[in-house]
Parts: sequence; structure tokens; C-alpha cells
Amino acid sequence: MMAEDFKGSNILLVEDEETLAVGLEYNLTEEGYLVKWAKNGREAVGFFEKDKFDLIILDIMLPYLNGFEVAERIRKTDPQIPILMLTAKTESGDRVKGLEKGADDYLTKPFHLHELLLRVKGMLKRKNWYKRSYENQPVYKFGINEINFETLTCWHGKVEIRLTPQEAVLLKYLVERKGEIVSRKELLENVWHLNPEVETRTVDIFIGRLRKYFEADPANPIYFKSIRGAGYIFEQ
Amino acid sequence: MRGKHSLFYHILIFILAQLVWLSLLGIWIYWYVSNYIVFEKVGEEVSPQLIYDVQNALPFVLGLILLIGLSLITSLIFRHLNVQLRLTKLYDNFIGNVTHELKSPLSSIQLYLETLKQRDVPLEKRKEFIDMMMKDADRLQSLINSILEISAQEKKRLFQDYQVYQADLFVKELIEESFLKFRVGKESYRITGEAPCQIVAGKDAMKVVFDNLVDNAVKYSVQKVQIIVSLSCNSKKITILFTDFGIGIAAKEHKKIFGKFYRIYNKEIPNVKGTGLGLYRVKEIIRAHSGKITVASEGDARGASFKIELPAYSELSKRKLKKLLKTERYN
Repeated sequence: MMAEDFKGSNILLVEDEETLAVGLEYNLTEEGYLVKWAKNGREAVGFFEKDKFDLIILDIMLPYLNGFEVAERIRKTDPQIPILMLTAKTESGDRVKGLEKGADDYLTKPFHLHELLLRVKGMLKRKNWYKRSYENQPVYKFGINEINFETLTCWHGKVEIRLTPQEAVLLKYLVERKGEIVSRKELLENVWHLNPEVETRTVDIFIGRLRKYFEADPANPIYFKSIRGAGYIFEQ
Repeated sequence: MRGKHSLFYHILIFILAQLVWLSLLGIWIYWYVSNYIVFEKVGEEVSPQLIYDVQNALPFVLGLILLIGLSLITSLIFRHLNVQLRLTKLYDNFIGNVTHELKSPLSSIQLYLETLKQRDVPLEKRKEFIDMMMKDADRLQSLINSILEISAQEKKRLFQDYQVYQADLFVKELIEESFLKFRVGKESYRITGEAPCQIVAGKDAMKVVFDNLVDNAVKYSVQKVQIIVSLSCNSKKITILFTDFGIGIAAKEHKKIFGKFYRIYNKEIPNVKGTGLGLYRVKEIIRAHSGKITVASEGDARGASFKIELPAYSELSKRKLKKLLKTERYN
């Protein structure tokens, strides 16, 4: 369990359950990350405004401001910081809400330590890959859509859209493989850095969101097409 | 989503009920109007006076009864459905809260076990982790107990080890244990008054009462926790006044807070965790002791005072005493 190049990354841990937070802080510190622990939503926003972080681990049920509200506030000022939501809620509606409010990934409680650390590492890795990637081609256009991968701002005609980092990474991955069929398994492994057996619904939720942003008729997509039994294809 | 569907079905049922009601009304009007002419013709031929009275009065009275009956039934059905809807909503919230309350300590225990298995943790840290796990195990146990005991309590099958105690010693001992459990320091509470009388009480049950009151005072205090407990007694009863200086409870919620699954929402301190069973359990326990609990609060960050009144030992009837002090296990 080595953090490789990511040692020294700053992580904001937002968790009000003391026993869980102490254990998480210990493990993340052992991996070489620098951890700051916020005990409630209000404190988390305060820390975020003062310090610079590379990743946020965010519980949903928090005093004062809940995880959704914290994610929403953070996204207004920083569209790129990766947010991993921890939730005891299992309803898919809550997961979708979390992702809509700006989380990039979620983990349901109780979780395995190994899985959490892999996700944290995966998110930091993605953040770095993405940063390198957009430096070569910061702006991309298709149809009436224009995407700035650096600022995560897009235009669908005259409508402005802000992408979350996870949406941007997925979009970038599909754009770089234009015309190729990309399977859900491949997306989970390379975009989410997850075991493909874990949760295939995640990919569908994100593709659905890209269609909503960039397709004139999301029910009949022309750019982000589904290939039955195979996956997705981005065509222009 | 479930809530929205329930609402939709309830409105649909209400509309259907109204349609049935209006159809019946229509049929009645149709029947009355069409028969009026027949009655009138037959009546004129057979017995003008008799038919005149009957056809005017009887259908009218019957119709009126039918209409009132239908209105009442429709209102009752709708009221019942609304109550059901509210209960379903409360129950859904309860399930959500309990899921959270169960999963959080479980996640923590799993995290520490995996940490101890995968890492070479120094001895001092090991001890700290074990303490954390025990704390979580206690939390799980207390939540599971509260759910199981409520069901037993409602069926009046919960065993309590009732004994006769010296009131003030008993209350002081239990309440100080609760303060210790919820980390309320000596500087944050004061116990005043004397209650030199005897009461009959179940120690474990009364511990649940004080744990809940202290836990609520801690959870619903925005500033530093401050609690005053006043004791007094007379020949008839012992009174425990538990006052905190938290966010307070609005007047409209004074009764509701003792309801099952009910939880207060306050924008000053949102997202407070809990199951909505605490004060319901407290009320049931005090009731089982033949006592009474009420709350007084001006709301609006002015704190709350819970008044518990328990009958003095000498005031309990022989029958009640026999019932309370019976020590055999029911379930």
C-alpha cells in the first residue's frame, strides 16, 4: 500500500464520527498523506477556504451543513478538486444526488480499508493525468459544444455548463478514443480505477449526465451512443 | 420517492371517493326526480294525504342521511390516509436514521480490525484502537437494545428489576454516570435540592431516561453544555427538574417530541443524529413507573426543562407495589 508519487498530498477529511475519523486519519497518514480533519460541514468549508487541498473525503450526514451542501459550496469555487463521498445511505437516489452535487466518487459504509485507499490513490492519479492531458489540448469542440478542459467550463450553444472533474476525465477519455467502442469495464478500470465488478451503474449515470449536457435530445444521442452489449462510443 | 408515490395514491383514492360520492348523489337525485312524478300520480289516486307526506318527507330524510353518512365516511377515510401517510414518512426517516446509526459504528470497527490486520500498529495505538472499537460496540448494543426493548415495552413484556431506593441518592448516582458517559464535565452541570424519600424504580430503565436527557442536552446545545438538575419531594411524589440551556423546543412540539420516531428540526443546529425513539422510550418508562414527564420551553435558544414526577413509595397502592416489585421475567 504505497502512495507512490502522491505522498505529501493534502487531504481534507470531513467526518463527524470521531471513532471513524481517528482510524481514517491514522491510515491516510501512514500512506504518506497530510490529513486535516473537519468535524462538521461548517468547519469543512472554513478549512477549504483557508488551505489548499488535493482531495476531499466527505461524509454526507454532518452537523450544520450536510455533505451535499458542502460539495455544492466547494464546487462553486473549485470545480477540479476530487471529492470522495462516504455514505451510510444505500439508496441509489442518494448516490445520484451526491454525484450531481459534485462528488466524483462514493463509497458506502461499511467499506474495506484497501478499497478506500485504492480509490483515494486512483482519484489523485486521475487528477494528475488530467492536468497533464489538458495542457496539450485545453479546448475541444464538437457540434455546438465547446469544452474548456482547464476551467471545466463548457458551452452547449449559449448555455454554460460546469463539469465536475470526474465528468471531465470521462469526457476526455472518450474524446481521445473517438470512434472506438469503449466498454463499461474499460471505463471503470481506466477512468475510475475500480474493480469492474464493483458498480456498473456509475458509468451509466455519468454517461447520462454527459448526454444531458451535450445532446440536443438525450433520449436519442448522436455523440454519446450506447452499443448494446459492448459499451459506449463517442462519435462526431 | 416512496413518500411521493404514497401521496399520489392517497390523492387518487380521495378523488375516486369523491367521484363515487357524487355518482351516488346523482343516482339519488335521478331516482327522486323520476319517482316524484310517479308517486304524485299514484298518490293522488290512492290516498292523497298519505302519499303526499311520505313522498316528500321520507326520501328527503333518507337522502339527507345518506349524504351526511357519505361525507363523514369520505372525511374519515381521508383523515385515516393522512395519518397513515404521516406515519409512513416518520417510519421511512426512522429506517434511514437507524441504518446510519448502525452502519457508522460498524464501519469504524471494520476499519480498525482491517488496520490491525494489515499494519504493524504500535502498542499504544493498538490500545487506543481497541478502546474505540469497544465504544462503537457499546453504541451498537445500546441502539439494538433500544429497538428491541421498545417492542417489549409496548407489549408490556419488558422485565424491569424494580427495587425500593432512597430517591436522591439513586437519582444522583445515575445522573452522574450519564454525565460521565456523555463527557459532560463537572463544570457543566449542577445538581441542587434534596429528595429524602423513597421511590420504587428500575435502575436500568431509569438509566435509559437520564442517558437520553443528557444525550439530548449535549446534542442540542450550540454553545457550551450547561445542565441544572433540581430534586425535591413531598409525601406524595418526587420531582426531578432537568434543565438545559440548548436550542429549546417550540411550544407546538412540546407534545410531539414524546411521539414515536418524532424528531425536531432546527435550522440553528441541523442534521442532529438520532432515531426519534429516545423521548418516546423515556415517556414509556416513566409511565411504567406510574409517573409523568412534561416539558417546558420557550423555544428560540432558551433551553428546555423536563419535569419528571414519580410517586413516592408510601403513595403506591398495594396492588401497584405488588405489580412493580414482581421480579419474575415475563419474556
